[in-house]
Amino acid sequence: MESVIRKRPVVLSIVCVLGFIWIVFSFPAVFSPSVKKLGDWYPALFGLIVAASFISYIGVWYMKRWGVNLYIITFFVKEIILIFIDDVNYVGILFSVFFISSMVSFYKRMDTNL
Amino acid sequence: MIFLGLFRESVFFAINALVVNKLRTFLSLLGITIGIFAIITVFTIVDSLEQNLRKSVQSLGNDVVFVEKWPWTFGENYPWWKYMNRPEAGYNELDEILRKCNGAQSAAFVTSTQITVKYKSSSIENVTIICASHQYDKVKNFEISTGRYFADIESSAGRPVAIIGDVLAQALFPNQNPLGHSIKINGAKVDVIGVFKKEGESILGGSSDTQILVPINYARSLIDIRSENLNPQIMVRAKAGVSNDDLIDELTGLMRSIRRLKPMAEDDFALNQTSLISNQFDSLFGVIGIAGWIIGGFSILVGGFGIANIMFVSVKERTNIIGIQKSLGAKNYFILLQFLFESVFLSLIGGIIGLLVVYIITLLAGDSFGMEITLSKSNIILGFTISILIGVVSGFVPAYSASQMDPVEAIRAN
Repeated sequence: MESVIRKRPVVLSIVCVLGFIWIVFSFPAVFSPSVKKLGDWYPALFGLIVAASFISYIGVWYMKRWGVNLYIITFFVKEIILIFIDDVNYVGILFSVFFISSMVSFYKRMDTNL
Repeated sequence: MIFLGLFRESVFFAINALVVNKLRTFLSLLGITIGIFAIITVFTIVDSLEQNLRKSVQSLGNDVVFVEKWPWTFGENYPWWKYMNRPEAGYNELDEILRKCNGAQSAAFVTSTQITVKYKSSSIENVTIICASHQYDKVKNFEISTGRYFADIESSAGRPVAIIGDVLAQALFPNQNPLGHSIKINGAKVDVIGVFKKEGESILGGSSDTQILVPINYARSLIDIRSENLNPQIMVRAKAGVSNDDLIDELTGLMRSIRRLKPMAEDDFALNQTSLISNQFDSLFGVIGIAGWIIGGFSILVGGFGIANIMFVSVKERTNIIGIQKSLGAKNYFILLQFLFESVFLSLIGGIIGLLVVYIITLLAGDSFGMEITLSKSNIILGFTISILIGVVSGFVPAYSASQMDPVEAIRAN
């Protein structure tokens, strides 16, 4: 139960800031006409991914392990959906892989509690 | 069960927040309501217009090519003076197309103009009369509710027979069957042999409800079918399995040979297809959609900040309760979910109000404009998605900060 304040490495701060910027740009895309055209359920799925990503970045910002876990799950779900709709973005994957490797490298220093 | 209990409790807190601070909650929810209203209204209008347009284009035929003098779309600096000197499509060219075009399933020569129709003392002005050759029923999609289409002999011999639109039938023959009666077109008697099935308003105009169809060979006695004002055209429907592009290629060669154009000479005809119209509208709808997206996006952004604000205030007001809950053993996730559900619930209320306003407007607009405007399932899903998303994103940080509170300090807080 004991919550320990842990110092966040600069790399993770940069990752989180970039992530929040991505959220700011992705959020309006959830209800953009182009996303809506992909299918009735796609905006809902995309919205879920954006919300989950946002929460995971907050978790990483507070140095919580659940943030990293949630980010990895969200990444795989997002990529599976993108493969299904044939819209894989390799630059996006590269960024995500960099983010995940940065998060995982500090995983042991993170808090296990919520 | 614990989630149900949490959900019930959060709903109770949210309703309590609504009741206790009516004005504050109303102002905060207004942003979400306006945002959802703006986005869903624009999407609903665009979807409805697209649906109506698609229906209208489908009635013209997706696999039909129109041989005409003028193209339907122009770019910038188009040489209109060249088009002016082009000859009109001719009836004799139809025979050539029917004989030589392998990709054509059927073809018809069509002209139209405005006339006055009379039956006894009833008279209707500016009725569109369509004068068409026999295969018109094979190139144009329409249904006949009463009566029949022209017989081959009626078309070729130019008998005075007509098929009239449903609205005209209702106006000229109230409470009686129009079949077997004669109407007067420009003073000439014409027998009604059929009535078109009611089509409804068409976004492109030219609904068959207000039209009269007569054989082209009969129309020669009434009007000058060569006149440029009648917009003569040859409609060619592609055979099954033949694409429009292939048909256009074949027709281009065929029309050039019919008009004996030299190899270097430019085409003196236009081959139009319905996709030209839908493409033009697609770009227009795209712009409208983006405009609604931007306007609604800003409203939702403001609404999101409103919800975040209300949640921070809510956390501040209930700090003591959070402390007591935690000291009695409530887990962090319990507190987090409690506030998160509350935020989502508040946001959903805003979204539902927005969707209700859109629904009422669609009912009113549908009656006023005579066009079918429907709030589709996909737009309702989108409205709920945006509301939930806003609730989660704007409520998570206050909820998380509440969940991280020290119970002792929380109880002591004023």
